[in-house]
Amino acid sequence: MLGTLIKKEILNSVFSFRFVVIFALLLVVVPVTIFILTNDYVRKVDEYSFRQNGIENYLKNYAHFNRIMNVIMPSQPPIPFYSIVRGISSDVNIAKFDDDPLPAVFPLLDLVFIVGILLSLAALIFSYDAVSGEKEDGTLKLMMSNCLARSKIILGKIIGGTLTLLIPFVLSMILGLFVILLNSRVAWTGTNWATLAFLLLGAVIYVFLFLVLGVFISARHHSSSASIMTSLFVWVLLILVVPNLSPYLASLISPAPSQIKMEREVSRLTDVERDDLGRKLQDERLREIVKKYPVLAERFSEAEAKARVEKDPAFREAYQARTKEVDAAWSEANRIQNKKRDDLQEEFNRKVGAQTRLSRGLSMSSPLSDFTYMATDLTSTGIMNLRHFEQIRSGWEHTYWDYVQGRTTALQKQNPAVDWSNTPVDVSDMPRFQYKEEALAARAKGALWPFAILMLMNLIVFSAAYISFVKYDVR
Amino acid sequence: MPRRKPVPLWTIVRKEIIANLLSYKFFIVILLTTLLLFTSFFVLYKDYKGRLADYELVRAKPGEPIAVLPPNPLSIFAKGLDEAMTRSFEVSRIGIAVFAGQKSGNIIFAYFPTPDFVYIVKVVLSLVALLFGFDQISREKESGVLRLMLSNSVSRAKILAGKWLGNFLSLSVPFLLVTLLGFALINLDPGVSFPASSIGRFFLLVLTALIYIALFLSLGIFVSALTRRAASSLVILLLIWTVSVFVVPNLGTLVSRQMVDVPSVKSLSEKQDQVWTREVLELIMESRAKNGRGTGDIAKNHFDAINRELNQMEEDYRNKFDRLVRLSKNINRLSPAASFVYASTELAGTGIGEESRLKENVLRYKDSVLPNLERGEKQAAAFAYRYRSVGQVLAQGGLFDLTWLVFFNILFFALGYVAFVRYDVR
Repeated sequence: MLGTLIKKEILNSVFSFRFVVIFALLLVVVPVTIFILTNDYVRKVDEYSFRQNGIENYLKNYAHFNRIMNVIMPSQPPIPFYSIVRGISSDVNIAKFDDDPLPAVFPLLDLVFIVGILLSLAALIFSYDAVSGEKEDGTLKLMMSNCLARSKIILGKIIGGTLTLLIPFVLSMILGLFVILLNSRVAWTGTNWATLAFLLLGAVIYVFLFLVLGVFISARHHSSSASIMTSLFVWVLLILVVPNLSPYLASLISPAPSQIKMEREVSRLTDVERDDLGRKLQDERLREIVKKYPVLAERFSEAEAKARVEKDPAFREAYQARTKEVDAAWSEANRIQNKKRDDLQEEFNRKVGAQTRLSRGLSMSSPLSDFTYMATDLTSTGIMNLRHFEQIRSGWEHTYWDYVQGRTTALQKQNPAVDWSNTPVDVSDMPRFQYKEEALAARAKGALWPFAILMLMNLIVFSAAYISFVKYDVR
Repeated sequence: MPRRKPVPLWTIVRKEIIANLLSYKFFIVILLTTLLLFTSFFVLYKDYKGRLADYELVRAKPGEPIAVLPPNPLSIFAKGLDEAMTRSFEVSRIGIAVFAGQKSGNIIFAYFPTPDFVYIVKVVLSLVALLFGFDQISREKESGVLRLMLSNSVSRAKILAGKWLGNFLSLSVPFLLVTLLGFALINLDPGVSFPASSIGRFFLLVLTALIYIALFLSLGIFVSALTRRAASSLVILLLIWTVSVFVVPNLGTLVSRQMVDVPSVKSLSEKQDQVWTREVLELIMESRAKNGRGTGDIAKNHFDAINRELNQMEEDYRNKFDRLVRLSKNINRLSPAASFVYASTELAGTGIGEESRLKENVLRYKDSVLPNLERGEKQAAAFAYRYRSVGQVLAQGGLFDLTWLVFFNILFFALGYVAFVRYDVR
C-alpha cells in the first residue's frame, strides 16, 4: 500500500510544473558551477606550483638562515575537493596592502551553497502544499474514505517527495562529476570519493529535513497560500538570518577584545612598560652596587669607562659587576613583562575561543550552519582544517629550526670566521613543508556533531508533522 | 441609461491596500521585515561602536606617518568593505605596513555574509516584493474578481497601475517607517554622528532600496500576468529570484577571474618577500666585502632597488586587479542584485571603488612623506582623506547602476502591461 502512495506522489510531482523548473535549474547550475570551480582549481594548482618553483629557484641562489623564514613560509596548497566545495579556504587577505576584496562583496558559489540555499528552497516548494493543497483539492478526503492509515499517507508523502527531489539533484550531480572525471588535471582518490559519499548523505538528510518541515507547516494550515507564506518565512529566518546574526549576537553576549587592541596592549607591555620597569630595577640594583663599589658613584661616559677599564683593574672589577647587575635588572624586567604578555595572550585566546564556540553553538540552531560545518569539515575546507594546517606547520617549523641549528653549528665548526646566518648556503637537504589532508576518519568524527544535530532536528520535525497530520481536519 | 462614471485610480489603490492589510501574507511580511531590520540596525550599530572604540586606540598621533580612517557611520547600513578601509597603514622607509585593525579572532564571521541593511534589502525584501506581486493577476482571475472589475468602465492600464501603486505603498510605507525609525534611534546616540552629507547619502541609499524593491514587484506582476495559476507564477519567480540574487553575482566573479589572470595576494606577497630578503642579503654581503666602507651608499642603492621592484610589481598587480573588478562588475550587473549592491555600497562610501581610491591616496601619501622619513625627520604631515562626493560617486558608475535598476523597472512594468492587456480573464 505504501508503495502505491509513494508512486502516486512521485508521478504527481514529476509531471508538475515546479518539478520541471527545479530540474532545469539544477541541471544548469550544478554542472556549470562544478565546471567553473574545477577550472579555477586547476588555475590555483598551476599558480601554486609556479610559486613553489619560484621559492626553490630563490633558494638555489639566495638561501641563508637569517631572514629566509619569510620566503619559505608554508601556505595551504589547493586540494582536489576545491572543484566542489570552497569553504573558508578563500578568505579575504585583509592583512596585505594589496588585498582582494571581491569575495567579501559576493561569496563564492559552491555545492554547499547550492544544497544549502537552492535545494532547501526547492524542498519547501515541493512540500508546502502536501497536506493543505490536497485538502483544497478534496483529494485528501477521498483518500481517507479508503481504509488507509494516516501514518501511511504522510510517510508516502515524505518519502515520495524526497525521492522526487533527489532525481534532479542526483542527475545534475552525475553531470557535474563527469566534468571532474573528464578533466585530466583533477585526480580524485578513493578517499575523495568516500568523502563525497559522506557529503551527499549529509545533503540528503538536510534536504529531507526541509521536506518534512514543509509537510509539517502544510499540516498546520488549511490553505496552501498561507502555508507557502509560513514556509518562506521560516526558510528566510533559518537560512538567511540566523547564521548571519549568530556571530554578532555572540560578540554581544561574550565580548572579546579586537586583535588590534591586543597588539597595542602587548606592545605597551613589552615596550614602554618594560623600559620603565627595567630602568627602575636597574636604579635599585645600581644603588646597592654603589655601596659595594663607591668608585661607581662617579659620573663617567661610556668611552671614559672603557678607557679606565683598560688601565685600572679595580675599576674593571667594579664595572663588570655593574654590567652584570644591569643585565640582571633588564632580564628580570623582560621576564616579568613577558609573563604579563603571555597571561594577556592566554586571556585573549580564551575569550576569542569562548566567543567562537558560542557563535558556532548559536548558529547551529540553523540547519544551514549545521550542513555548512559538516560539509566544510568533511572536505578539509573548514575550521578543522585551519587547525590541522597550523599543527603541521608548527611541526614543520620545529624540524626546520633543528635543521638550521644543526647546519649552522656544523658550518661554524668548519669556518668560525664567517657570519653564516648572512651567507648563501646550499639548502637542498632542508626539510620541505608537506601538506597532508587529515585522515577521513578524523574529519568524519569532526562532522559528527552537526550531523547528529541535523538528525535530531529531523526527528523533532518529523514527530511534529506526524502529530499535526493525525489531528488534521480534512474537511 | 446613464453612463457610468469611470473608476478613479485611487479606488483601486485603496482596494489593494485594504486587501493587503487584512491578509495573512501582510502580517507575516511586516513581522519579518520589522524584526530583521531592527535586529540588523542594533547588531551593526553595536559593531560600529566597537570599531569606533578600537579606532580611538590606533588613530595616528600628530606627526606619525600613519594613515587610518575612522569607521564610516553609514557602515551600519552598508558595511561593504569598511573593515578593509579602516585598517591602519603605517608608512616606513621599506614600504607600508598594514595592521588589519578591527578584525576579531572569531572565525565564524568568515562563514556567512554580514546581515546589514543592504543584505536584508537585497535578499529578503526582494523576496517579499515578489510575494506581493506573484498572485496579483492570477489570483484575481482564479477568484473571478478580475472579470467583475473589468465589467466596470475601467481600463486595464488603470487596474495595473492601481495594483502596482497599492502594493508598492503597502510594502514601502512600513519598510520606510521601520528604516527611518531605526535611523532616528541610532541618531539619538551622541557617539554616532552622521555628518550632514551622510544624511543625504542615507536617503539616497533608501531611495535605491525602494527602486530595487519596486523592480521585483513589477517583475512579480509581470510573471503573474503571464501565468494562469498563482502557484506556477510563484515557482517561476522563485527561480528568477535565486538565480539573480545568489547564482549570477556569486558565479560572475569566478568567471571573470578565469578571464583576467590576476595573481593571488599570496603570490604577490611571496614575491615581495623574496625581493626584500634578497636585497638585504646582498647589502650585507657587499658591505662585508668592503669592510663597512661606504655602507650608506650601498644601503641606499639596495633600498632603492627594493622600492623600485616592489612598486612595479604592485602596480602591475593593481592594473590587473582593476581590470578584474571592472569585468566582474559588468558580468555581475546582469543581475539587478549586483547593481543594487554596487550602487548602495558606493553611495555609503564602503564600496570597491572607494576602497581602491583610498589605497591610491595612501600610496600618494607614502610618496609625499617618504622624503621626510629618509631625511630622518620625525614629523610627518597628517593623512587626510575625503570620501568621494555623491556627485562623483554617481559619475563613476553609481548613476549607471541606478539607471540600470530604473531600466529594469520600466522594462518589467511595460512587459507586465503588455502581458496584462493580452490576458484572458475568463
